[in-house]
Amino acid sequence: MEKGFASRLRGRFSIQKLREGLRKARWEMDALSWTQLIAVVGVFIIFLIAPLITIVGRSFVHEGGLSLHWFKFIFTDDFYFPLSLRFSSNFPFIGLEGVKGSFYDMIEYVSGAGEEVRILYLHGYDMGVIPNSIFVALSTTIFSTLLGFLLAFIFARYKFFGSGILRIALLIPLLSTPFVGAIGLKKMIVADGVLNKVFYTELGILPFKIEISGLMAVIFVQTLLFYPIVFLNAYTSIISIDPSMEEQAENLGASGFKLFRSVTLPLSMPGIEAGALLVFILSLEDLGTPIVFKGTAAEKVLTYQVFTRMFTPTGYIAEEATTLAMILLLFSVVIFAVVRKYVSLKRYAMLSKGGVWRPRRRKLSIPTTILVYIFTLGVLFFATLPHVGVGLLAFAKEWGPTILPGSFTLDNFRAVFSDPGTTRSIVNSLIFSSVATVVMVMLGVAAAYLVSRKKIPGMGTLDLLVTLPVAIPGIVIATGLFLLFLGTPLSPLLSGAPLLIASYTIRKIPFTVRSVFSGLEQTDKSLDEISWSSGASRTRTFLSIIMPLILINILAGGMLSFIYSMSEASTGIVIGDANHNDAPMTWKMYDMLFKGLAGGVFQPAAIGFMLMLLQFVMIVGSNLLLRKRATSLIGI
Amino acid sequence: MVEIRAKNVSKSFGEVVAVDHASLQIDDGEFFTLLGPSGCGKTTFLRCIAGLELVDEGRVYFDDIDVTDVPPHKRGTGMVFQNYALWPHMKVFGNVAYGLKIKGQKKEEVSKNVNKALEMVKLAGLGDRTPHQLSGGQQQRVALARAVAINPKVLLFDEPLSNLDAKLRLEMRAELKKLQRDLGITTTYVTHDQEEAMSISDRIAVMDQGKIMQVGTPRDIYQNPQNEFVAQFIGQGTFLDGKSMGEVDGFLEVELTDGKRIRAVPSDPTNPPEPGDSVLVLIRPEEFVIGEIPDGNRFECEVYHISFLGDAQRIRARGEAAVFVIESDPDVSLQVGDQVTISSRYDSTLAVRLGR
Repeated sequence: MEKGFASRLRGRFSIQKLREGLRKARWEMDALSWTQLIAVVGVFIIFLIAPLITIVGRSFVHEGGLSLHWFKFIFTDDFYFPLSLRFSSNFPFIGLEGVKGSFYDMIEYVSGAGEEVRILYLHGYDMGVIPNSIFVALSTTIFSTLLGFLLAFIFARYKFFGSGILRIALLIPLLSTPFVGAIGLKKMIVADGVLNKVFYTELGILPFKIEISGLMAVIFVQTLLFYPIVFLNAYTSIISIDPSMEEQAENLGASGFKLFRSVTLPLSMPGIEAGALLVFILSLEDLGTPIVFKGTAAEKVLTYQVFTRMFTPTGYIAEEATTLAMILLLFSVVIFAVVRKYVSLKRYAMLSKGGVWRPRRRKLSIPTTILVYIFTLGVLFFATLPHVGVGLLAFAKEWGPTILPGSFTLDNFRAVFSDPGTTRSIVNSLIFSSVATVVMVMLGVAAAYLVSRKKIPGMGTLDLLVTLPVAIPGIVIATGLFLLFLGTPLSPLLSGAPLLIASYTIRKIPFTVRSVFSGLEQTDKSLDEISWSSGASRTRTFLSIIMPLILINILAGGMLSFIYSMSEASTGIVIGDANHNDAPMTWKMYDMLFKGLAGGVFQPAAIGFMLMLLQFVMIVGSNLLLRKRATSLIGI
Repeated sequence: MVEIRAKNVSKSFGEVVAVDHASLQIDDGEFFTLLGPSGCGKTTFLRCIAGLELVDEGRVYFDDIDVTDVPPHKRGTGMVFQNYALWPHMKVFGNVAYGLKIKGQKKEEVSKNVNKALEMVKLAGLGDRTPHQLSGGQQQRVALARAVAINPKVLLFDEPLSNLDAKLRLEMRAELKKLQRDLGITTTYVTHDQEEAMSISDRIAVMDQGKIMQVGTPRDIYQNPQNEFVAQFIGQGTFLDGKSMGEVDGFLEVELTDGKRIRAVPSDPTNPPEPGDSVLVLIRPEEFVIGEIPDGNRFECEVYHISFLGDAQRIRARGEAAVFVIESDPDVSLQVGDQVTISSRYDSTLAVRLGR
C-alpha cells in the first residue's frame, strides 16, 4: 500500500517530467510574465492566504494551547447555537428546540394624545447567531432568486410598451451597497417611518402600523438590493438561449409550462445558479445592514458578532471572534466550492452555429401588460425606497414623522465638507481606493493575461486564487489581516493605509480580473501569435498588441474596482476603527451614525448620497465603455 | 534561402495526439502543402514549424540550425492565418510596418518597404485605412503584405483562402502562387481543400491522424497513392476489394471478392503487393471507357444516377462488385436504368496495397 503510493508519487514527479515542465515554462514565460506571476501569487499569499491560515490556526487556540474549546463553547452556547432536536413518541416525532420568541409581536398602546395605536413588529424568530446567519442568507437568496428570475423571464421573453426603460430601472439597486441602502431604508420601515405614514395614517390601507425590524429587516434590505444580481445573470442566460432550441421543442410537441420546465429553465439554470450563489455569499458577509439596524435582533448574525468582539482601537481580538470568523469562512467557502463545482459541471456550452439570432420576444396583450406593470412598478417602488430615503435624508434639515422632510437644505453637505475629520476621511478613501485600483489593475491584468494565455500547469489554480476573494467575507479578511499584521510595521494601529489598501485590493480585484479576462478571451489569440512570429518578443507583444486591445476592459474593470473600494464597508469600518486618522469615509459614516456627534443620520446620508452618485457614474461609464464586450459584469 | 526539416515531430494536447512522429523535408524555395481532413494535425504541424507550439518530441531545422527550442520571434517566419489576424488598433500601414519597426529599420526605410509590400499585393495607397474599412479580400492582401514585408526566411499559410468566396479564392490562389514564385521564399501551406492543394503546390504531404501518409507532387499522390487513405482521400474513384494473385504478362492479377479476376498495376511501384496481399483496386472516373477495349478490364453495370457537369457527365452505376463512378463525354447518351459495359485499361487500374 505504502509502496504503491510512493511509486505513484515518483510517477507524478519524475525527473523527466520535471525537466519537461521546466522546458515548457521556459518557453511560455519571459521576465515579464515571471514578474507578473510572482507579484500576483506573492500579494495573494501575503494578504489573503496567510491571513486566512492565521484565522484557521488561531480558531483552535485556547489559553495558549491547541484546543477545540471555542468550537465546543460556541456550539453549546445558547447565544450562538441554542437549537437542539427533541424526539417524542407523538407525531411528528421530532421537534426543534431552542427557537426563541415569536415571529411577530403586536403591541397596542394609547398614545399621549389619547389615540389607540397598534404596531405589528415583524422581526422573525431568534434561533441563535449561527442559525440566524444561515437563515438570513438562505431567505435572501430564495427571495432574490424568485424575484430576479421572474423579472428576468418577463423581460427576456416579452416585449411591451416601456419594457426597455423598466428593465434598466430594475437595476437601480446596484447603485448602492447594503450599508448605504440600509440607512435610507431604515427611515422608511420603522414604526413612525414613511411607509406607515403613507399606508396607515394617510391612506388608511393598513389596519395597524407595521415595523420591519431585526432579521426581517436585514432580509428585506438585502433582497431589495441583491435581486438585480440574479435578474442580470438570469436575463443574460435566457436571451442567449438559441431560439431554435425552443422552436425545436415546440416542434416536438412541448409547449407552455412543459416547454419552460424542460428546455428554458434548464438552459438558464447556470445563470440563475451563479447569481444565487453570489447573493448567498453577499448576504452572509454583509456587515453594513446589521450595523445600521444595531440595537435590534439584526445584531445576532455572525458578521456583527465578529465585528463587535474586535476591540480595534487597542488591536485586541477576542479568541471567540476568531473562531466565529472561522465558522463564517467555512460556511461561505464550502457553499462557494460546492456550487461552483456543480454549476461549472452543468454549464451548457451553446452548441449553435455562429450567427446572430433574434431572441424570442412576444408582444403582450394590453391587460397582461397592465398586470406586468403593476408587478414591476410594485417591485420598483420598494427597490427605490433605499435610494429615495438616502437622497431625502441627505438634503433634509429635519425629518419628523412626516412623509417628506420638513424642509430641504444643503447644510449636510456643507457640514461634511467643513469638518476636517470628515473631509480627511473622504480624502483617505479617494487616496486608498486610487492606490488600490492601480495595484488591482496591474495585478488583475497580470493574472488575467497569465490565465488566458499561458499554457503551463497551475493556471487553473491561479484563476481560482484570484476569484477566491468573492467567497471570503470581508470581516474574515479584516480579522485575518489584523491578527497577522498586529505588531509588525504594517500594523493598522500605526497606520491604516497599508491594510486598507491591501484589503481593498484583495476584495475588489475580481472585478478587474473578470473584465480583463473577458476582453482577452474576446481578443483572438492569433492577433498575438502573428505579432510574436513577426519578430516581437512576448513582452513586446504584450505591450504593443495585447494591452491596447484590452484597454477598454482594463478601464471598465478598474472603474468598478475603484467604486467598490470607495464603498467597501466591512474592512473599511473594521480597519478604519483602529486608527481614526487613516479611516475611510465608510468608517466615518459608521462613526457619525452611532457616536451621534454630528447630527445623526443626515450627514452619513449625505456621504452615502455622494457615494451613490459616484457609483452611478462609474457603473454607467464602465457599461458604456464595454457595451457588448462583456455581459452582466456587475453580477460578479 | 532556407530548407526546412522536421524529424520525428510529435505534439499532444492532453490525451489527443495532434502530430505523431512526423518527418519531412521542404526544399529551398519550394511551395509545400500540408493537406488532410480537419483534425488531422496539419495546422498543429505548421504551428510547430512556426514555433507557436513547443514540440513534445523530435527536432525542427531551418537549414542546419536546430530551431526546436527557438521562440517564434527569432525564427524569421512570415505567417498568414485564416482569419487574417489584422490588428484592429492599427491602420493598414501600421500592420505592415510592425515587423519592420521591430527589426529596427529607419522611418524612411520602413515607409519604403511598406509601400513596396502593399504594391506587391495591389493595395498601394490604402495604408491609411483601418482594417475594418477593407473587404475580406483586401484584408487578406494586407495580411499577405505584412507577412512578406519583413522578408522572411519562411512563409507559413494556415488556410489563408478559406474565408473568401469561391471566385475570389481562385483569383487569390493564382496571385499567391505568383508572388511566392517571384519571391522564391520557402513556403508551407495548410489546407483541407485538395483542389487548392493540387493547383498551387510543388509538393504535398497528405496527413491523417497526426501521421504523414504520403509526400509527393500533386500528380504523384493522385496517380500513385501509396496507401488506402490517400487513395480514398484524394480525388474520386471506383474502389474494389481484392487479393493480389501475382504477376501475369507484366501486370498484377487481382481476384475481386466476387471471384472475378482483373489486371492492374501497383499504385506504388516501389512497394508492390506480394501474392496473397489484400489490395484495394482504384479506378479514376476519367479512366473508364464505355464499351470494350483491348488490354482492359470489363465490367457490367446498371446506371442509376447521372449528373451533368457541363464539360463532362458523371455517371454512377451499380455493378456486382461495387458502385462505379464514371466520367464520360457529355455527348454519350445514357439513361438511368441502362445496362452498360465499361472498361478500364490494365495500366490505369491501380492496385493499392492494404494493411501496411
